Formats: sequence, structure tokens, C-alpha cells
Amino acid sequence: MIDTVLTENYGMESLKTIEGYLKCGGYKAAAKALRDMTPAQVLDEVKKAGLRGRGGAGFPAGLKWGFVPQNSGTPKYLCVNADEGEPGTFKDRFIINHNPHSIIEGALLAAYATDIHTAYVYIRGEYEFEARLLERAVQEALTHGYLGRSILGTAFSLDMTVHRGAGSYICGEETALLESLEGKRGQPRLKPPFPAAVGLFGCPTVINNVETLALVPAIVLNGSEWFRRRGLPQDPGTRLFGVSGQVAKPGIYELPLGTSLREVIFEHAGGLKVGRILKAVIPGGLSAPVLTPDEIDISLDSDSLAKAGSMLGSAAVMVIDQTTPILSVLKIVTEFFANESCGQCTPCRLGTGWMDKIVDRLAQGQGRRRDLDTLDRLAGGIKGRTLCPMGDAAALPVLSLVNKFRGELEEACRE
Amino acid sequence: MVKFFLDGKPAEAAEGTTLLQAAAQAGVRIPHFCHHPAFPPEGSCRLCLVEIEGLPKLELSCSTVVREGLKVWTETDKVLEARRSVLEFFLSDHPLDCPICDKAGECGLQDYFREYGLSQSVFDESKEKRGKKVPIGKNLLLDRERCVLCTRCVRFGRQVTRTEELGVFQRGLKTEIGIYDDTPVSHNYSGCLAEVCPVGAITDTDFRFKTRAWFLEKAASICPWCGRGCNITIEHAPGFPRVPGSRRIYRIKARYHPDVNGHWICDVGRYGYFHLDADRQDVILAKGKILEGPSSWEAVIRFLGARIAGLRADKALSRVGVVASSQLSNEELFLVRRLFLEDLDIRKIFLADPQEGTPDGFLLTAERTPNRKGAAEVGLKFGLPDLKSLAGELDLVFMFGLNLFDHFRGEDIRIFLSKTATKVLLTSQAPAASEAFDFVLPTAPAAEKSGSFVNIEGKVQGFAPVRPACGQALAEWDILLRLAKAVGVNAAFYSGLNGLDDIRQALDREFPLQTLKA
Repeated sequence: MIDTVLTENYGMESLKTIEGYLKCGGYKAAAKALRDMTPAQVLDEVKKAGLRGRGGAGFPAGLKWGFVPQNSGTPKYLCVNADEGEPGTFKDRFIINHNPHSIIEGALLAAYATDIHTAYVYIRGEYEFEARLLERAVQEALTHGYLGRSILGTAFSLDMTVHRGAGSYICGEETALLESLEGKRGQPRLKPPFPAAVGLFGCPTVINNVETLALVPAIVLNGSEWFRRRGLPQDPGTRLFGVSGQVAKPGIYELPLGTSLREVIFEHAGGLKVGRILKAVIPGGLSAPVLTPDEIDISLDSDSLAKAGSMLGSAAVMVIDQTTPILSVLKIVTEFFANESCGQCTPCRLGTGWMDKIVDRLAQGQGRRRDLDTLDRLAGGIKGRTLCPMGDAAALPVLSLVNKFRGELEEACRE
Repeated sequence: MVKFFLDGKPAEAAEGTTLLQAAAQAGVRIPHFCHHPAFPPEGSCRLCLVEIEGLPKLELSCSTVVREGLKVWTETDKVLEARRSVLEFFLSDHPLDCPICDKAGECGLQDYFREYGLSQSVFDESKEKRGKKVPIGKNLLLDRERCVLCTRCVRFGRQVTRTEELGVFQRGLKTEIGIYDDTPVSHNYSGCLAEVCPVGAITDTDFRFKTRAWFLEKAASICPWCGRGCNITIEHAPGFPRVPGSRRIYRIKARYHPDVNGHWICDVGRYGYFHLDADRQDVILAKGKILEGPSSWEAVIRFLGARIAGLRADKALSRVGVVASSQLSNEELFLVRRLFLEDLDIRKIFLADPQEGTPDGFLLTAERTPNRKGAAEVGLKFGLPDLKSLAGELDLVFMFGLNLFDHFRGEDIRIFLSKTATKVLLTSQAPAASEAFDFVLPTAPAAEKSGSFVNIEGKVQGFAPVRPACGQALAEWDILLRLAKAVGVNAAFYSGLNGLDDIRQALDREFPLQTLKA
């Protein structure tokens, strides 16, 4: 039996309501924190737990909270990032669908630790059903006194608003999310200043991913030691691996960090579909560089994947088999990022568009070998030179596909 | 001061200076599009990346601030490769219509391509087709194919005029600049948008297709159209008289002054140059006849000097009137005061300025004359004459400029003039009724002479001729000095004045305007 943190009771229909959540021990962590712990103690517990952000960058959550100034003299904000735009990723949606109150409780704890009294949930526009679920949960929490004024009879208050995005990938980037939330064009801000200093409406702001926050109640309730029993010392806990593609049992699997990619694919996801042979794996969402079949004996954690030249990202594992041409994977990558580039900075705006035009030509059978060199050079010109991480997100998968599958791509070329 | 190393050499800059500014101060130019000194760092063009020792990635020089001991490299292979790469991206989406582009010759993109030696293009795809002449407001056309999306124009509307007509629309390759709700730019600073554009994306229809940038000579001047005294650069083609129908002055641009106009000028000043080319009074008219030849000015001055001397001998100087204007320079207003008021004791001295306008709340002031403060400083605080009661009271009148026509009906002026024996008009613009004057003397506007104005905030600003005066025109100070010498009054003083510098020194002694300097 795998020792889960999040998904133990998932699947219970009643968990979607506050009554069901309370029956499963919901809001106990909130009661413990607000009644028996100081904000500093909550912050300390999360820091000790070594909880790393589950959105993609893997930044330690406790450290992020600690950056928020104590006495800024201005309002401070908490943003729950439920934009989940990374292709292949569906874990946040899974959490919202199964246990919306765990997100609200996690946000409440984060807000308590950082003395924040206003929270926004920024949810992608396509998650219509999930947005309504969350709105209902917020309303329930409000009626039951877990949001609003004097929560649990204490002096602490927290307002929460669910805000729907309009379907732009870049609004998952935290500063673009803030711009969008402010009612402006969703495009990233130049950093520094970072949101912890100048965030929403110019005020200090904490932005956390849905999964990150959903983990917080268990950490506060059971302690950091309990949490650290799972996963790796430098990357503790479990993650929701969203496995998709040509596997027998695609879905979400909560597994400890450090589980090998081979185990995820061949044990938990049931291996490939009958008769299919593995060709490639994208281990952390579309922007993660691709791995070849001889690279899958790798520990799934931020550091190991970084060492292998890829990334854990959103832990969305996409399994590609031999029937799928790499060119079509490449086309999906370049088309997606060309479509989603916000257009603000030059290498991303013009580079992603140019790459997509080349790949489009390759897909029409009009490719030449030297186009692959151009793709490699253009991706190199985007990588590390853009205003926000999206440049790398667009360039790295192209670099890995073009270099690791050069032979197959050359075969698709006319000359 | 912060000490750091720029390309291996020790350098220093004030705290808070960005690397791009600090490099510029040290004479090192870092290419950029989105950076504009009037705005906070934008960081979107990615052209100004530099290498900082100890950091893995290239950093933005437009937003990174100098720190003690920082080692910055602006021309390493890594930097040059990044620069070429960004320029290559720009080229992949640029129409290369330089031969028909107004910006050619002064275009950032063109300059950078030359500098970084890009010639071989590997772009084999089809370029995006976009709007080539999208009207976005008064005098402005947008060419979206040429646009590099630096968003300077958008930020101008947000941060300077706060009118926000322009915005960024679409995303990715389709990203483009446009106006919201098709509401065109209509404010008084529209011309600045063409000026902030680093490429040929926003062009000014007033300048478009009229000449090429490299034919123009540039000279500094002060805008004469209101009390602000904006610093300007006048760009003109050499040669006068000009070919009929052609232009001499092609455009006026803002010249940076931190305390007066910043980086901007208003449209009244920007497009207010036609008076320098059109309807010029460039000949001396005596009784309606053109007075030609090298000695014509001497003849006129001799006659007028004798006329004043005669009235003085007859103790009839009370029958002399002077209508000055605060469009004159400090030096000229000083001579008006010295000669007419102090030396000749003429009391009928008036000041006629252009009709006041509505201030626009930014640079343009209500007063539409450049030197009202200067006039007050030299003690010429007089108002308009009462033409009805003055009619028939004068034997000789000097009128500087045509401003009386702003305040009186032509009929009243005609009656007044017809009852005055000798009428002298000094003007740079040809009057509608030159036959009403005995003498029409051509003068030089601010762009064609030296002098100084005091702006509405008390700042004294000198100016020098951009072009020589056209035709027979002379600066008013020159005419006044010659006249003073011809009259023969206070000869000891006037014989010591042999040019503008002498007048300026005398002015400084009596009215030390410098103390007004901020």
C-alpha cells in the first residue's frame, strides 16, 4: 500500500461537500494552526517539511512565504494558481474535482502563516465545472466559518474569490497571472521586483500552485517529520503523476518523489498498450525535454531530472510509442508554443513562430536536412534569452527532439 | 559613485544608474529598442543583453543597476552572438522596404544590421502580411510590418499623455499595435509618437516621403510658440532662395532638456514651422516699392534716424509710438527700452502679443509668445494701445510684428495708420496690407538669429541661428542698434555696442537675467 498524502479518500462523492470533508478530518489542521500555533510556527513547519512547489519550478514553498514582508503597511495577497495550462497536466483539476476544500484549507493555512487576508483563486477558463465546484466550496467554507471574518472564533479573517482566466497558457506564469487578475493583458512582468515584494496591485503577493497548497493541511496536522517519511530528503513528499499517452492505464498516480520513471510507466500505469513499443517519454509536461527509452531508469525528482537535462515540471508523464512519428510530436510542441507566446519579447514572439513555420513545412514533406540545423540554432537563440521562462519552455523540447531523434526527422526530409 | 568594470576598464556611475546608461556615459553604445530614457525599463526587445562575470545567463543592461565591483562585458562572443540572434529574429519579420521607408538613414534596425554585419538570411518561410498604412491618429500612420513591438508608443500614451489610445493586440506572431475602439490619437503630442518609434513603423504624414533623413542639416533652437521655451532641433535642407513650392524646414523634433520639456514637444511647436518658409517678408518695401541693392538698409536707417532726430529737435517725440512684442528677444527688448524709453523718453510704448490660447495642462501655456517674462524683466510691462484715441496723435509709429491684427479689426488699424504720418512695420511675415505702411522692414524670426528668451518658469535660454536670415531680413536688434546710432542720441553708449555680445553684456549689467536661472 502506497503511503499517500492527498488522495486517500479521493473518489468519495461526499468529499466534494464540506460535510464530507469535515468527516474525513477536514479543517482540523486549520483549527490546530489558528488555535494552537503562531503564524511563525506554521511557516516553520512547512519550511521543515521541505515542501517544494508543485507547479513546475519546484521552488521551496516555505521559503517563498518567508519572502513576504511582515509589516509592509499595504494589503498583501495570496493567489492560488489553478491555471494548469501545461499540456499533459491534469492533476490540479483532479484535486479540485475530488477535494476542493483541501485547497481552501491549504490556502487558509498559507494566509495565516503570512498574515494575508485576501486570496484569489485564478482558475483557467476551460475548467468551467471545476470553477463552479470551487465557488460552491468557497461559499460552504464561508457559511461554516472557515472563510470570512473571525475564522474559528479567532481574530483571523480571509476573503477568497474565484477568478476565471480566459484560456491563455502564459497566465499560468505567476506575473502574467497577476497582470490578468488586475484586468490587464496577460503577459509576464520584468523581474525583479518579484511578487513577494511587488505583486498583485503593487502589493506583496504569494502565489502557490493548487497541489502545493492542498498538501499543506496534512503537513500542519501531522507534522513535517510525518511528511518527510515519503520521498527524498531534498525533495520530500508525494506527487501526483499524471500519466497519459500510449499506456494501458492512463491517469493520476500519487507516488513518492524518487519513484523511477520506469516504475511509473510499467507498474502503476500498466505498461504500454498491447503490442506497442516505447519510443520516448516527456516526463514533466510538454515543456520538459524528452527522454529516450534508455533514459527511463531515472528517479523522478527535480534534481535527478535536471541532471538528465530534463525537468520534473508539472509531473505530467507523456508516453510516446513507436507508432507516433516524432515529427508530429515536434509539430504539437512548436504549434502550441507559437500559439501561446504572449508576443512581448522578441526571441519568443518571433522565434516560436519561425520554428513552427519550419516544422509546418517539414510536416508537409518539404523539409531539408539543414532545416533541422536551423531549428537547433533558433531554439538556442530563444533559450535563456527571454523575459520569462516560457522561452525555455518552448526551446528545450525542440532542442531535445531535434537532437535525440535527428535520424527519424532526417528521414522525413525531402533532401 | 559606484565603481565597476566596463569591458575590463574601471568605470564609475551614480548609484541607481542602469548598465545601459552607465555604458552610454562611458561612450559605450549598447543596442536597444524598447529602452527609452523617459520610461522605466521594459526588458522586452532583448537586444541589450550583456555578460556579467559570475552569472550564467546574459543579463539585461537596461534594467540591471550598477553595483560595486561588477564586471560587465558588452562585446564578448556570447553577447555578440545573442545580439545577432535577436536581430535575426527581427529580420525574419521585417519587410526590408528601407528604400521606400522614411526612417532609412536614422533607423535603429538598419544601423544595428550594418554594425553587426548580418547579410545572409536563412529565413525561407513566408513573412506575415500586416497593415502597411494604418491611420492611428492626427498625422500618424502605422506600418505593422515594420513594427518591432518595442511598445514605446503604447507606453507614451500610458505614462506621458495618459490618454491610452494605443495598445497591444493579439499574441505570438500576430501581436500588433493598434488603437482601442478605433479612437485615433488626437492629443497635442501626437508627433511625439513618430519620434519615439525607433524604426519606420509610425511615420508622420507631414514628413512622409518629403525628403530623406540624410539630406537634412540639424540645428538646435528654442520653440517660439508659447511661454514654455521647449528645446527643439530644426531639421532643414540647405539653400535659399528655395525652389518654388519646395520646403526649407522639413521637421522639428524635441531636444531633451531635463527641466523644461523633457523629451517632448507639443504639436503646436512641432508643426509650427511653416512661418519660416511660407509668406516671408524678405525684401525692404518703401512706399510699396522694393528697395534693392547693398545700400538699401543704410538708406532706410538714415531716413528713419533723421526723422526721429527731426522730431526730437522739434520737441515732438510725444508724437512717436512704438508697438513692441514679447516675441522679441531679451536683447531686443532691452534696446527697445534703452532707445525709445530711456534715451528718447518716448512714453507711447505698447506691447502687443499674440492672442492667448488654452493651456493643454502639460507643456503648452496660455500665452502664445516666448518671452513675456523677459519683457517684464526688462521693464516692458505695457499693454495694448487704444487705437481710437491714438489715431491722429502720432507722426511716427514703429510696429514690431503683426500682433495688432490679433486684437483689432483691420478697419480700425487702417484708420489709425491713415492718420499717422510715417508708419514703419518690422516683420518676418508678409502683411496683408503692406501698402498701408511707409516702410515694411524684413526681420529674422528666432530660428534665424541669436538671442535669448526667458521662459514661463524664469529660465533664460539662449539660441543661435539655425539658418541665415532669408533675403534682406535683419535681426531686430541689428535694426535697433543701427537706428540708435543714426539718431545720434547717447552716442557714448551706442558707439560702444558693436554686436550682439556687447548688447548682451550691457543687458546683463542692467538686468542680470542670469540670476533667474534655476
